Order: sequence, then structure tokens, then C-alpha cells
Amino acid sequence: MNLDQAFIAAHRFGFGASKKLIKQIEEPKVWLLNQVSPENITAELGMLDLDWTSQQAIQAMALYRKQKKLEKKPSESSENMMMTGSDATKKAVNKQSMKLVNRTISHAINSESPFYWRLVDFFSNHFSVSVNGQNMRALAPLLETEAIAPNISGYFSEMLLAVESHPAMLVYLNNEQSIGPNSKAGLRSKGKKGLNENLAREIMELHTLGVGAGYDQADVTELARAITGWGVDGAAKLNSGFQFRAGLHEPGSRNVFGKVYRKGGVDQGIKILKDLAENPKTAEHVSRKLVTHFINDNAPQVIVDEMVTVWMQTKGNIPKVISAMLESPLSWSDYLAKFKTPREFLISTCRACDLKRLKPDFVKSLAILGQQPFSAGSPAGYKDTQEYWAGPRAMMGRIEWAEHVSKFVKKVPMDLAQQALGSLLDERTAKAMSRAESKQQAVTLFLMSPEFQKR
Amino acid sequence: MNIARRDFIKGGMAGWVIAQSATASVLANTSTNNKSSKKIVWVMLRGAMDSLHGVIPTDDPDYMNIRGPLVESIKDKLLPMQNGYALHPAFKNCHTWYQNKEFSPVVAVASGYRRRSHFDAQDQMESGLDTTDYESGWLARAVGLLDGQGLAVAQTVPIALRGQTSSQTWYPPHFSATEDDTLDRLRSLYAGNEEFSNLLESAIMNRDMLDMDERSRAKPNFSYLAKNCGEILNKEDSAQCAMLELGGWDTHNNQATRLNRQFDILDKGLAELKQALGDTWKDTVVIVTTEFGRTVAVNGTKGTDHGTGSTMFLLGGAVKGQQVFGDWPGLAKEQLFEERDLMPTTDVRSWMASVLHQHWNMSLENIAYIFPDVQPIAQAIIKA
Repeated sequence: MNLDQAFIAAHRFGFGASKKLIKQIEEPKVWLLNQVSPENITAELGMLDLDWTSQQAIQAMALYRKQKKLEKKPSESSENMMMTGSDATKKAVNKQSMKLVNRTISHAINSESPFYWRLVDFFSNHFSVSVNGQNMRALAPLLETEAIAPNISGYFSEMLLAVESHPAMLVYLNNEQSIGPNSKAGLRSKGKKGLNENLAREIMELHTLGVGAGYDQADVTELARAITGWGVDGAAKLNSGFQFRAGLHEPGSRNVFGKVYRKGGVDQGIKILKDLAENPKTAEHVSRKLVTHFINDNAPQVIVDEMVTVWMQTKGNIPKVISAMLESPLSWSDYLAKFKTPREFLISTCRACDLKRLKPDFVKSLAILGQQPFSAGSPAGYKDTQEYWAGPRAMMGRIEWAEHVSKFVKKVPMDLAQQALGSLLDERTAKAMSRAESKQQAVTLFLMSPEFQKR
Repeated sequence: MNIARRDFIKGGMAGWVIAQSATASVLANTSTNNKSSKKIVWVMLRGAMDSLHGVIPTDDPDYMNIRGPLVESIKDKLLPMQNGYALHPAFKNCHTWYQNKEFSPVVAVASGYRRRSHFDAQDQMESGLDTTDYESGWLARAVGLLDGQGLAVAQTVPIALRGQTSSQTWYPPHFSATEDDTLDRLRSLYAGNEEFSNLLESAIMNRDMLDMDERSRAKPNFSYLAKNCGEILNKEDSAQCAMLELGGWDTHNNQATRLNRQFDILDKGLAELKQALGDTWKDTVVIVTTEFGRTVAVNGTKGTDHGTGSTMFLLGGAVKGQQVFGDWPGLAKEQLFEERDLMPTTDVRSWMASVLHQHWNMSLENIAYIFPDVQPIAQAIIKA
């Protein structure tokens, strides 16, 4: 085994190394790909021990709205006022939601499948949803755990469908309010209710084909019509809370990106999504984003091309496409090409320093470092090139944060650095650490060393 | 004109470093060298502000038919301006400035971008070109010709301030300042690593210049950012221009309520900026723009979808106020862009170019370098 390759696998494709982890990496590529097997993903999600679902979130929010309504009414008795308690419901929902976000981070810190969690982060940002109100506060983190994390081992089309039919996405991009003008509900409203093309546009622009792929306004509108009726219901049979409402669905066949789709209720939209997922433009768009994320901001075209070929051969099988990326020698060369994202920096710091919790906590720390989860504020997600998180201001932010968390590190700094970086630890860093005036300062220097900052 | 990309900025370390390319030296020779106290602040509204809800064409015969349901709650409280326009009631400060001849909106404007992606449209507007150059922003090109400096109130340098110019970024810090000793040790650790050395020096310079005051932990809302922006600009030898950003404008649903709040945030933030600028306000032009407008028609969810023509605001003591600039295209179906959106009648960049020409006295030749794809508006928009 090439030890350097093992460390590269751990840093570039994971959250850094540890003594135990390095021992497990006999064949770096095999080690990485095993992490996205269906069995391993089931095991990882089992360890997450999820106890908060979309269905619960939707039901809790329905209760919250009901309580709010009651509170607005002039109450007949003060007793009535006491009983409604929308505030308590809201707090309980927010607590569950925040717990979920913190739990995925603390699990990623300790997981023996760090590459899998990096991929979850990547796709979670690709299908970005933001908290922009109480509904999204309840729903946003569930998109990641319910639609993305379980679907890394399969086809992109499966993940796409899971995402676009998930309540978090349907609510975030307003599709649950979009109504076919000629549907039963549309006709009944006499033109007052109608289409909202927000989700349809972002599906094409951000989630699949990519901007400039050649689709036009008519394609967007047609897709918007095809997915009318895709909505949300807490009492729905499906676990996620997805509900297809035929009475809102625009009747008729649709013409999207040069292909006609016959009428067919919910299946019409599903078929379009599947075709979009398997389109070469989508293959190119998502492959380029993967290479940009994992390897280099200037994604080498040759790797992208190889991934697109595999994507088209396998109809977008995610592990196969990733395998094509890992097969390229460029995945293993030009090391330290990119600064870690704020999230990678935080998780790899906690991993390297054996920190089980932080103060400010994980979410607040990420807000300080610049990428608070589910707060990108745009369906495009956080930009994925380092100029967005490695400027002078962010650098000082990292130094101050590193110095702050270094206070909580209990172990011997040099041991931590050697475990985390192995042969990648630069002599200069080791020397600087050994001369540091305090343990805290030594840890700060380690965390801010180029070989820990980049990967 | 082709704006040369620089190699060193690849990787995005756009800190304080000045380019040494051939283009840079040519520019230095032709630079106007009139670094002045005249400031420009650009406020970018991200998400596409609905201009038809902010600057209301009260005389347009089609307006109430189309937009009636959205403006029901405000239609009796509008703040009147000339020529049959009115401001949304949340723009209290803006309206006062309008009356004081320090505020003029421009109606029916757009950039050169004619599609409907927020992100592409914003990038292109920041770049100021017909096709986006991610490493060259219009504000950077402009302030570079003054040998000046730009300030971005953001964590990292936005496209508008990227280029052959030094630009600062400022954002509220969170922890106590790192000791000089630790910074010195990092300095020696990074010796020989150009990328990290440059980044560290920029980070330290940035901190020392901008965070001399009590380090605040306040929540960075728009008012707070605007106030600090004004205070930094007021410091001696500070930047000549700054960029502020405010998101939250993508009102696909429930627009009336959301824009009440958004307009209020914007209006109050601008007032904080004015307050912090103090005397400098009289030499300041604030430009407020958004990447594109929204559909003229109301959608099925009491909101509006991505459109084309929008509005921009010019305000500040230097602005020729109490005007409504721009030509109104009308709202009848055949007058709309693609029978859907407000038709832009002038380019946002023409007005920006005109601000540079009239406020910073930039030559037309220099303007052509900054905005190669448009001509400045000839009309007087800055006080003589």
C-alpha cells in the first residue's frame, strides 16, 4: 500500500486520518467505494438513529398553525388561552430540527465512512434548501437525511425523484402551491390560482441540465405544468409526506426539451425527471461539480469526460460515476489543490483533535466560519470554489476560530498532528509546533498549517 | 474589450495584492489620478426585487387591473412622486430624501442579461459586461482607474470588486483578536509559501485597518452592515467605493407581506448608511440595483415570477434628486417583453456609467473600458 495515497484518500475524500482509520485503508479506492455500498449506507444511517421525520414535522406544523389560529381568536376564557401553546410546539419542532443537524455533524466526525458523508454534503449542497421561515425550519434538514443520504448507492434519477418529491423541496420552491390553470382546482378558481414555475426552473437550471444547456422558457413552463399536483400532506401514505393531488394537475400531454410526454398524472413528471437525470448535459453538469468539489476548482476536462461516458453507459449510476473519478490519476495528484470548505475544516478539526462537542456549537461555529447548514439563502447552494471561503477575512476568521477551539484540546498536540497528517506533516509545521509557547498555540499552528487547511 | 484574466488570482486570493500585468501598467499611465473624497456605494438586491411593487406607476391605466390584488392594503398610503409615480409606503426615508432632492429612482431598467437565472444575472451585473468575467468586476475596474480602493461588506470578495485593484472585505468578527505572537509564528510557518503568506498579510492588514474599534458581536443585519460600511468609508484614506448586499427578494408567493418587510429593511438600512456617512453623504452616490425584475402578472400564489425590467435607485447628497428618471414602456400586453415582463428601456449600466462620468469625472475613454457594451446616459443626474 502506498501510505501517501491512503492519507490523500483520507483528506481529499474524507475528513482526515486517524491511526485507526489509516489501518483500515489497504486499497484506497476500494476503501472509498466500499463506503457507498447499499449495506454500508444502511449501517451508517442506522447509527444515525433518526427519530424525526417529515411526516412528524408536517403534522407538528399543522398543529402549530391550528394553535396560532386559536390564539388569534378572542378567547372566551383565559383557560383556553393557556391550552393552545403554539410557542411550545414551535420550540419543540425547532429543537428536533436543530438536533438533527447537529447529529449528522457529530456522526460525520466519528464515522468510519467519511467519504460517504462528504458525498452526502456535496449532494445536499447541490440540492440546496434554506431555512427561510418556520415551515422550512421544520423541514430543511430532512431533505438530506430522507432523500439524499439513502440514495447515494443508486442512480441519480432515484435521488432526483426523491428530492423533487420531498416536502422540503416542494415547500421551499413553492411547488405545493402551484396549480394547473386547466385542472379542476384551476378552473374553479376562475384564473385566480395558477402555475408557479420556481421548482421547475431550478430543476433544469441547478439540479439537472445546468444553465445554458439549451432549454428555454417554454421547457420550464411545460415542466412546471407536468409537476402540478406534487404536494405535501402529513397524513399521506408515503412516509415522506408527499401527496399527489390529481385535482391540481394540469391535464394534457407535455413537450419538454424536445420530447412529448403523454398525460399520465404523477407518472408524467416522474418520466420527465428520469429523462433529465439521464441527459448528457446533466451528466456533464453534475460530474463537473463533483470534480470541482473534490479535486480542483479548475476541474480537468479529461476526468469530467470519463465520468460523463460512464454516466451515459450506466444511466447515471452514482457509485460507478464516482469510481470513474477515482480511477483517474488526477484524483491522486496535485495534492493540496484546494482549501477545505468551512464544514470540512470544522469536521476534520474535531476529528483530529478528538472534540466531541464545541462551544459555540457545531451549527453556530459553521455560521461563524461562513457556511451555516441550510442557510445558503439560494437554491444554488453555497458556491463550491475556494474563493468563496478562503479570502483574507475568512482566513482571519479561521485563525481566530482555530485559536478558540484549541483551548479545548486535551491531548498532546504533536501526537494529534502525526496521527492526522502522517507523512504529510511538514517539517516546518512540526518545528513551529515544538517551539510554540503553549499547547493551545501549538494546536492553532497545526490547524492553520497549509497541509491541514488544504487537501 | 477583452478584460485580461490574471493568473495569480486563480484560486481566488484576491486580497490586497496589486497586479503586475502589462494591462495594469497601461492603465496606471492613463489613470486619472484624482482619488477624491467622492464616494460611491453600490447596494445589490439579490433575488430580483419587484419594481412594480416599489415604484408604482399610478398613472398607468393597466396597473390596477393587473396588480390590484397585490397592492390592495397599501394603495391608499402610497408616497407620491412626480409624473404619476409613487413609492411604496415602507420607503419613508427614501421619500423624505426625494422631497429633499437627494433621491431619484430610474424606472424600466435591466442589465444586458435577458434570461431568468438569478445567479447568472447577478454575476453578469457584477461583472458589468455582456458576458460574465468572473475575475473582473465593474466596480473594481472603475476604482482601479482612480488608483483607489474598494470595500466589500462580505466575507469574501464578490465579483464586482475582483480585478486589478486592491479591495478590502469587512464582516463582523466573532472571537477575540489573535495575539501578535501567534500571528508572527504563522508568518514564519508560511514563509516560502506565497499563497498562505499573501493571504495572512492581507488578513492582518484587513483586520488592523477595519477592526480598531470595539469588536462587535452584533448580529450582522443589513442596518448594522450599512452603518459599519458608512463608518469605514468615513475613515481617512479609506475606500472610494463600497458594495453592500441584501437578499430576500425572490417573492414567488405572499409578496405583499414579504415586500413590506423587505422595503422597510432596505429603507432603514439606507438611513443608517446616511447617518454613519455624516458630512460625506453630500459627496456620496448610492446606487441600488437588482439583477432583474419580476413578471407583470401576479402568479397563482400571490407572488410574481422571474422577469426582466426593474427599477434602480440613485440617492445621496450628490444626486440630482426629486426626479423619476427613465422612460415608461407601459403595461399593456403588447408593450411587455415577451408579453410577460416589464420592457427595459435603458440599461442599468448606462446609468452607472453616467454616475462615473458625472460624479468621478471619468473620461468617456475610461468609461468605455469599464462598460464596453453601453453608452453613458447624457442627462444630468448628479448635482452640478
